[in-house]
Amino acid sequence: MGATSDAETICPTGKTISSEPQGPLPATAAKISVRHLNFFYSRRQVLYDIGLDIPEKKITALIGPSGCGKSTFLRTLNRMFETVPYTRVEGEVKLDGEDIFGMSVVDLRRRVGMVFQKSNPFPKSIFDNVAFGARVNGLKNRDKLREVVETSLRRAALWDEVKDSLRKSAYSLSGGQQQRLCIARALAVDPEVILLDEPCSALDPIATAKIEDLLFDLVGSCTIIIVTHNMQQAARVADQTGFFLLGRLIEFDKTEVMFKNPSRKETEDYISGRFG
Amino acid sequence: MGTAAAPLPRIRAASHHRLRRTILDFLGWGMSAIAFLLLGGAMVWILAVVVMRGYHALSLTVITHVTEGYGGGLLNAIEGTLILAFGGLILSAPLGLAAGIYLAEFDRGRLAPVIRFLADVLVGVPSIVIGYFCYVTLVERLGWKFSVAAGSVALAIISLPYICRTSEMALRQVPRALREGAYALGARDSRVVLGICVPTALPGILTGVLLALAISVGETAPLIYTADWSNYLWTGHLTKEPIGYLTYAIWAFITEPFASAHALAYAAAFFVTLFVLLISIASRMVLVERPGWRRPWTR
Repeated sequence: MGATSDAETICPTGKTISSEPQGPLPATAAKISVRHLNFFYSRRQVLYDIGLDIPEKKITALIGPSGCGKSTFLRTLNRMFETVPYTRVEGEVKLDGEDIFGMSVVDLRRRVGMVFQKSNPFPKSIFDNVAFGARVNGLKNRDKLREVVETSLRRAALWDEVKDSLRKSAYSLSGGQQQRLCIARALAVDPEVILLDEPCSALDPIATAKIEDLLFDLVGSCTIIIVTHNMQQAARVADQTGFFLLGRLIEFDKTEVMFKNPSRKETEDYISGRFG
Repeated sequence: MGTAAAPLPRIRAASHHRLRRTILDFLGWGMSAIAFLLLGGAMVWILAVVVMRGYHALSLTVITHVTEGYGGGLLNAIEGTLILAFGGLILSAPLGLAAGIYLAEFDRGRLAPVIRFLADVLVGVPSIVIGYFCYVTLVERLGWKFSVAAGSVALAIISLPYICRTSEMALRQVPRALREGAYALGARDSRVVLGICVPTALPGILTGVLLALAISVGETAPLIYTADWSNYLWTGHLTKEPIGYLTYAIWAFITEPFASAHALAYAAAFFVTLFVLLISIASRMVLVERPGWRRPWTR
């Protein structure tokens, strides 16, 4: 408890930093709203008093140096942290006003999909990878499955490249294609929110550009939250950007404000490359 | 820029170092060769003796006729060995796999270390003790008499820890990322384990099952207590009907003072070796991966 009450930490440059102040819920509809979120690995606290509102059908980027807690934060939003023992959260996360810790984890993850840093296709065919998500949702009809697989692959901009090799192993695809396959797999469940944890960190610029284009296509139908190490990527794709440092959310604002006129010194230092 | 870099001094090992290295190299190679010859030689020797002696006894009668006294064929024993081994497998494979899944996937319970310890102890229990245990409990107490059921249970107890531990190991090799990927799609535990983990680990699991099968084919002591011996083909009764098996023929016939008995013993040894060899080859083939389906996390 002691760690939560003092909302101040010493940053590497020796200055005192504090979390962004958390106002009341905004009038505009937020897809996900987070209030006073603390996260612990065993006894070690890694997130301090996080509060923010993720706007619906927008791209939100989370930036910050390694180990600042942005991935951990992302993993609380679909409760993926629960697969790791000795983790604990305090605070409030609401999806459409509904407490995510009160709902069934299975339902939550079907509404909030996730794409990981390293593409992780299952050792199955391309078709079965995408169909896995739909089958989890209880879809059994073969024609319907085929339809869902095609739609998802089209939405992930992969259909034209794989339509003649759906029965081939997912590992026969290139790295960028595998990552788009994982996005297609997440889309097959038809999620309302998609969390992306540094999805382009292992990809070359061309594959990265394809994924970024894809995000613009998807944002019309779902809410996207992307964690990235790459500040240019955040500047390119995000409507809103949040800056994390040492487990705190330092600043959260419109992307152009964050990059052109940040209100906090730490944000400016990080964005201008003074540390991180 | 400034001064040009001086050429790097060439490093030359002193001659006594080179000599030491040559000797160590020679010793290393020599010991490896000796180890190989010991293992490979023993293997070849066994195979040679079994094939040469068994070969004389091999004829069509061996696989078409049942044993008659100390002569005849081994059809009853071949059939019995297969029935007992597969009977044991039917019992131990589902149970062992289930235990392996529990150990690998649901390790958070207090039971897991206990099960793991017991499995390791069970590997170390001499098979004749397991045979005697089955004799006292199944053959006598439950009144199953010498039978397929008693023999299969004895073999199942022996194979169980192997299947359990190899399944656990194989499942632990499945990368975390695959599990996370499945959980992130909203899959339940059962679907993650049965839909992703078990199929991914299947080659490893099958290797354990085949190893257990090979062990079952080669076991003698537990079957002496539970299956006894029969000169006849199996009539399909699970209890109260003894059954023959190859290792009995080796064990019992080699000590008889008849040439025909010796021939049968060597023929039986030949078949046991052949079965184990075939199972080993099968398990190697299971591990060979289909081209284009290479798993990126193996080597």
